[in-house]
Amino acid sequence: MQPSFYFRALLRESRGSRGRFVFFVACLSVGVAAVVAVAGLSSSLDEGIHKEARQLLAADLAVDASRPLPPDLDLDKLGLAGVQRTEIRETVTVVAAPPAAATPDRPGASQLVELKVVKGEYPFYGELKLRPQRPLSELLRPDTAVVAAEMLTHLGLHIGDTLRIGGQPFRIAGEVLAEPDRVSVSMTLGPRVFLAAEGFDRTGLAARGSRIGYRTLIKLPAGLDPALERIQERLRSVLPETVYRVQSYREAQPSLRENLARVERFLGLVALLSLFVGGIGVAQSVRAWLAGRLDAIAILKCLGMRPREIFPLYLGQTALLGLAGSVVGIVAGAAVELLLPSLFPDLIPAELIRPWQPLALVRGLGLGVGVAVLFSLPPLSAVLRVPPARVLRREAEPLPIHRWTTALTVVALGLGVWIMASVQAHSWDLGARFTGGVALAAGLLAGAAALVSRWVRRLPREAVRSLSLRHGLSALARPGAAAMSAIVALGLGVLVVVAMSLVQQRLTAEISAEVPRDAPTAFLIDIQPAQWPGVEALLRQQGATNIESVPVVMARLAAIDGTSVEELARTWDENPGRGRPGERREGEHEGARGGQRRGRWALTREQRLTYLRELPKDNEIVAGKLWSDPRRAEVSVEQEYAENLGIHLGSTLRFDIQGVPVDLAVTSLRTVDWRTFGINFFLVVEPGVLDKAPQQRLAAIRLPRGSEQRVQDLLVASYPNVTVLRIREILEKIVKVLDRIGLGIRFLGGFTVLAGVAILAGAVSAGSARRGREVALLKTLGMTRRGVAAAFAVEYALIGLVAAAIGAGGGYLLAWGVITRGFEMRWQLQPWPFAAALLAGVVLTVLAGLAASLRALEMRPIEVLRTES
Amino acid sequence: MTAPRIELRHLTRRLPSGDRVLTILDGVDLAVAPGEFVAVLGPSGSGKSTLLALMAGLDRPTSGEVLIDGAPIQGLSEDRLALLRRHTIGFVFQSFQLLGNLTARENVLLPVELLGQPEPVRRADELLAAVGLADRGHHYPSQLSGGEQQRVALARAFAARPPILLADEPTGNLDGATGRRVLQILTDLRRQAGTTLVLVTHDPAVGALADRLIHLRDGRIEREEAPMRMASETALEIAAASPG
Repeated sequence: MQPSFYFRALLRESRGSRGRFVFFVACLSVGVAAVVAVAGLSSSLDEGIHKEARQLLAADLAVDASRPLPPDLDLDKLGLAGVQRTEIRETVTVVAAPPAAATPDRPGASQLVELKVVKGEYPFYGELKLRPQRPLSELLRPDTAVVAAEMLTHLGLHIGDTLRIGGQPFRIAGEVLAEPDRVSVSMTLGPRVFLAAEGFDRTGLAARGSRIGYRTLIKLPAGLDPALERIQERLRSVLPETVYRVQSYREAQPSLRENLARVERFLGLVALLSLFVGGIGVAQSVRAWLAGRLDAIAILKCLGMRPREIFPLYLGQTALLGLAGSVVGIVAGAAVELLLPSLFPDLIPAELIRPWQPLALVRGLGLGVGVAVLFSLPPLSAVLRVPPARVLRREAEPLPIHRWTTALTVVALGLGVWIMASVQAHSWDLGARFTGGVALAAGLLAGAAALVSRWVRRLPREAVRSLSLRHGLSALARPGAAAMSAIVALGLGVLVVVAMSLVQQRLTAEISAEVPRDAPTAFLIDIQPAQWPGVEALLRQQGATNIESVPVVMARLAAIDGTSVEELARTWDENPGRGRPGERREGEHEGARGGQRRGRWALTREQRLTYLRELPKDNEIVAGKLWSDPRRAEVSVEQEYAENLGIHLGSTLRFDIQGVPVDLAVTSLRTVDWRTFGINFFLVVEPGVLDKAPQQRLAAIRLPRGSEQRVQDLLVASYPNVTVLRIREILEKIVKVLDRIGLGIRFLGGFTVLAGVAILAGAVSAGSARRGREVALLKTLGMTRRGVAAAFAVEYALIGLVAAAIGAGGGYLLAWGVITRGFEMRWQLQPWPFAAALLAGVVLTVLAGLAASLRALEMRPIEVLRTES
Repeated sequence: MTAPRIELRHLTRRLPSGDRVLTILDGVDLAVAPGEFVAVLGPSGSGKSTLLALMAGLDRPTSGEVLIDGAPIQGLSEDRLALLRRHTIGFVFQSFQLLGNLTARENVLLPVELLGQPEPVRRADELLAAVGLADRGHHYPSQLSGGEQQRVALARAFAARPPILLADEPTGNLDGATGRRVLQILTDLRRQAGTTLVLVTHDPAVGALADRLIHLRDGRIEREEAPMRMASETALEIAAASPG
């Protein structure tokens, strides 16, 4: 056949069927919209981050470390003459408002804040929005602070009031409205407070051992931008990479983007699920369509068109329709993308949105057409089975189908789904798991639906009084392929939404519930050893219990078994998997890069050491013996941490403790039950080794409920350098982040439900001829239209009920797995989501079903019975 | 004697029906010479349509052979059978079997286009003119009367100039006068093109036009006769006068 003829035939074949494809397009476009919205949002954010990369870094280059740049670092010598440089220090501390006028003898309210100390011009790029509108350097004096607007509200302060930081008074000279290098989607510990360098010196926080992050912002002179990478490399070559991280704006916030990418992969898969559910609807539409084309296909075969020519004709037809559905979906997806920031202002930083994302649209188009073609393959194989003898004898039996054709169809479908899932997940492995999981869930749902149907068939229907109910039950007893796919599709949607709500509810409940009886409610950090007796007395006086306190020595890992950490980091980069047999499985999910980053991070980060005679009770030695070698300084290492870094029993670890090298022998490995929230360390050192090292104390305490704020207020009044981290507050912040992701998933899960509803409507509408006859017959027998509608409503309600019950059951199963295995939390049965799912399922299916059978309900008996004869 | 265009050798077709096996055709032997017009007569259920279906490779025999131009076709794949029909066999059916989503002209065009012959539209228009529907080419089948639909079907059947035409009760759904008109066109076109025609009917008057009459009963050839050689005009008169 000539291509031009083929194309003409394709267009002719679409004639007269166009009206039937509303549901095809509807099913497909819902899923495509979900995929496009996720892909569009994520690449839009990514593009936003790239475009605003300079503003987000506030500089061309930034160097981060837990110590300042080496004083002997001469930027001029590195060929960086003429660069501008700003030194930034950041730390976390608790600030206090003055005592309230009514209660002058009680300390004022206090709050955990993120302190930022700027020396030099800031920011180089982007805008720091302040009120009053004056440069930061003008507002900041040795005795002034500029603070976040939200903090003023929280503490009831105003510009001009005084604030105590590190025990020193600071006048509030202005408020911060927006900060270019602070992204709204990241988690923070508290509101921002800016201080001048001289002001920070007055607080004495640096001298008293607070942990400080150092960042140097560098602005290149105009014209040097092309040399950015070279300059970055040069800086890296002189600054040890285990200590200093040099990033340029061109890398555009790699860790932020990696987090976004992880969320995108996850949401992308949820969106893909709604597309796959739409695919079930596509298959359904194609089946109904072909049922009406059997005669035409037989004629074509009779006229000498080969099956291998007819099949592509119909496949091409579905591809064209897929294209149409995808275009509709793309438009809807882009609209969702545009609307979302205003719907969820907390979720998505509108300032970073760039709505025009051609690649996301192409992805939607590709996946949409792919799903349309793949999912129509099984029903399309009917084309091959149409007997040409049908032109002479309608009841001619279908042609046998080659076993290979069936196998090929199944393989193509599986392979295609896998490829699409992998595209969405950016990983073949995750794509395969997803494909397997979906296939399993769909199989289970179909099995459960078949079981329910069989069970209903056995019910003694004659005993049911209500005519409507009897009609509904008999429909459920012989559901037919269309109703079955509707049940599976709806069930999948309900499954996602229910599972997600359950997990989220459980997490929230777990976090907001009373922590275990003896678990600490707050951590106190940065306590000077000399302050501890006073702090402890104050805590006891305020009713704190379960007070635990340990010394903390900050150190850096210098070498493992004689191999320097720099060397290890290098081999790690080149060959991340080598010699790390026990690497956490979690790393594998995110591909090799995630695991590599984690291991490398553990290697080069600042390590916290403590020294103890006896281990806390939630520790258990699994190898070796604690403090068993009298000749050597010993360290006990947490097992998983040891596996990550390739540390064994007998390894020697060299630490750099503020310039002093200390060798420690690993003589025991232990496990830790982290869930107790107790103070625990990866590295515990034998007492006597570190007693003279510079150190602070860390304390965990349990405070009576409601007294946290008062104790923090009192503590900061007497010990302004001590920082209180309230566990509940931090957990609540984590819940907020989880909430945002959960909201996204439920939103997308809603698309899956929507696709399921569209399928049901399509199935009902496809059977509308049969329904019309049914209605006519019932009306002839004297049933009113209202009565018929009621009977249909009961039928749809039963379908919705079964789908929702099965889907919700699956959702409970999935949630149970995630909660007990994934989060290792206790399972608590929550009945409400189940009830809500049932109700929503019934309401949605009844509405959609009745809407789709309106035409059938309008049928007058005579019209139908006449055509029947 | 020239080789037969169509040859059936001991052709048998059985169909399972419930838990019994129905014998539709039972060892039929028949040879149709090139250019010959054979009419197959018999009551309904005698196996006439199945015979046609087997000749065209629309159905497969339980045993026996179908040879077209001396080559057996019962073992060919669906694809090869389709090609055989495309090049060799035209059809006319009792229920017309036009494609409802194509116009009259497009229905006639289809076999020509399938063959990739040049100037398909001219050929289609020629044929539509020959069946007297030159001005109805743009109509869809649902807009045509039964007689007009069957004339379109005739145009389609001859469009690809097939050497064989198989007709299944072509006048069965038409009233007397319309049926006569259609039959007239059919025989005219056949004579012009020298097409071999196998026509199935239960109407003896229609059969009287044929070179040879085959009487089928219970799947077997009951008898064979050469009808009185009459001018086709006269035969048509008789056909028109006879009831049914």
